[in-house]
Amino acid sequence: MTTTPQGPQHTGHAPHGSGPRSGGDRPRKPRRQYVRKRKVCRFCVDKVDYIDYKNADLLATFILDRGKVIPRRITGTCARHQRWLKVAIKRARNIALLPFAAGA
Amino acid sequence: MAEERFYELIFICRPDTPEADIDKVLSTLQQTIEEQQGRVEKVEKWGVKKLAYRIGKSREGFFVFLAIYGRQGEMIKELERRLKVSEPVLKYMTVRIDEELKRQRKLSARRERRLARRPHKTAGEAAAAAG
Repeated sequence: MTTTPQGPQHTGHAPHGSGPRSGGDRPRKPRRQYVRKRKVCRFCVDKVDYIDYKNADLLATFILDRGKVIPRRITGTCARHQRWLKVAIKRARNIALLPFAAGA
Repeated sequence: MAEERFYELIFICRPDTPEADIDKVLSTLQQTIEEQQGRVEKVEKWGVKKLAYRIGKSREGFFVFLAIYGRQGEMIKELERRLKVSEPVLKYMTVRIDEELKRQRKLSARRERRLARRPHKTAGEAAAAAG
């Protein structure tokens, strides 16, 4: 991703910052330097080939208290497993194992 | 005749239903299944569980689960009709899952094949796998 050739401790007024650096003259915020931990799909790790709608405890970890499905950008689930998960959650809702979105 | 399909059926009864009435519903379902050349693979009584939302006035329900093989869609129609008219039943759901189970078996088999192949990668075996 973002490469910082100058090393980690680069503050805005560094004296040895010789030459025009590529970006703007704004000092880079150090906060942006940590590497975000890569999320992996839980179902891929567990090698799941079928998501059972009857397993309400598992499905409940993928919905919010309000009953909404948590997007995969947050849970890290891969597209395929999210698709299966969606079907399973909808079935579980139908048979009152999980709440619909309205929530408490 | 159509190929065999696999269904899962869950129905929920009022929590205060006497067990005898639940058995009565169950036996009418089983009778229908037999009439329609289906067969019951499994029956599970999950007992009284909390509902995620209210159905009618109930917050709890007695869950019964059936796994069924069937050949005619008519069978499911008839089962659902019976559930609809039976008084203690709050809600029911039938899902056909044979295709998903087929997919699961396929994926599992593929994974196993791959696992079996990886550790020993001799030319003879690769040829055997190909041929």
